Amino acid sequence: MHELNLATEIHRTCRATIEARGPGRLDSVRVAVGELSAVEPELLVYAWQAVVAGGPDAGATLEVEWHAARQVCEACGEREHEPGDWMRICPDCGRPLRIEGGNELDVVDLTYTPDGQEAAT
Amino acid sequence: MTQVDVRQKVLADNAAAAAALRGRFADSGTLVLNLISSPGSGKTTLLEATVRALAGRLRLGAIEGDIATERDADRLRKLGIPAHQILTGGGCHLDARQVRGALEQHDLGPLDLLFIENVGNLVCPTAYDLGEDFKVALLSVTEGEDKPFKYPGIFATAEVTVVTKADLLPHVPFRLDEVRGQVAALRPGGTLLVTSATTGEGVAGWCALLEERLARKRAAAG
Repeated sequence: MHELNLATEIHRTCRATIEARGPGRLDSVRVAVGELSAVEPELLVYAWQAVVAGGPDAGATLEVEWHAARQVCEACGEREHEPGDWMRICPDCGRPLRIEGGNELDVVDLTYTPDGQEAAT
Repeated sequence: MTQVDVRQKVLADNAAAAAALRGRFADSGTLVLNLISSPGSGKTTLLEATVRALAGRLRLGAIEGDIATERDADRLRKLGIPAHQILTGGGCHLDARQVRGALEQHDLGPLDLLFIENVGNLVCPTAYDLGEDFKVALLSVTEGEDKPFKYPGIFATAEVTVVTKADLLPHVPFRLDEVRGQVAALRPGGTLLVTSATTGEGVAGWCALLEERLARKRAAAG
C-alpha cells in the first residue's frame, strides 16, 4: 500500500511550491493518475486525508484526474478495454499493441490561501 | 485563493535518485537487477544458487529489502558475498533513496553484478525505479498459474520472469504453458525461465542470461 508514501510526496511538493511563494495554507491539489501507475485513486484520497490531518493543511482536498491508457493495434486500430487491462497483444489479430499514456503520476496544480488573506476567500 | 501550476512528477525525487544511481552503475560497469515477487517465492534461494554458480567468475553483491530481520543478508554473506540489509520497518517497497543510502553506508566494493532484492510484494515495488538495468519477476509454481493476469503490472514491467520451485511441478496444478501465454500477452518479447534451486534446473540458463547481459552492457559502454 504505497499510496501513503505517494500522498506524503504530494504533500511535500505542495508545501515546497507554496513556501517558494511565501507562507500560506493549502486548499486543494489536483493529481493526474494514469491507469498503469499502480495507484488506486480512492486509496490515495484516504491516504491524503491521513497525511494532512492535524497539520496546518488539514482539510485540504486532493482531486484525482484519471488518465486511461490507449491500446492501439496497427492493424485493428484503437481497442476498447476494461480499466486495468494490461494486455499487450491484440486479441483479434495477435499483433503487439502499442500503449499510449496511462503512466501519469503528476501533481498538476494546487490552490492555496496566502497568510493574511483568509477573509478574501 | 491563489492557483499555481505545478506540473511535477509525484515520484520526481525518486526518479532523480534512480538516474544518479544508474549513472554510477554505468561508470562502474555493474549490471543491476531489481528482483520482485511475493513473499516466499524463492528470491533469496535463487540468489544463493546464483552465487554458488558464479562465485569466482564474477564479483557479486546484494542489497536486501525486508520489513524486519537481517536473515536474507546473512544467508548471502555466509556464501562470501557482500550484502547490505535495508529494513523498511513496514514499508512495502524499496525506493531509490534507500538504495543510495545503503551504498553510502556500506561499500560493497567493485561489483560485476548487484542484486537488489525488493520487499516481498507483487504490487508496490513495480512503481519505483531503483536505477536497475532491468526488473526480474519471480513466480513460484505453488503460487498458482493465474498470477500474471492477477498482478499484470509487474509481469508487464519485468523484462525477465523466472518461474521457481519447478521441482514441485508434479505435485501442484500449475500449467507452464498457461503461464507462458499470460506472460507473453503482458510482455511480448520478454524472457521466461523455469528454474529449481533444489535440483539446479535452469540455474545455468539464468546465469548465462546474467553474463550475457553484463557483457552487452559493457560492450555498449565501449
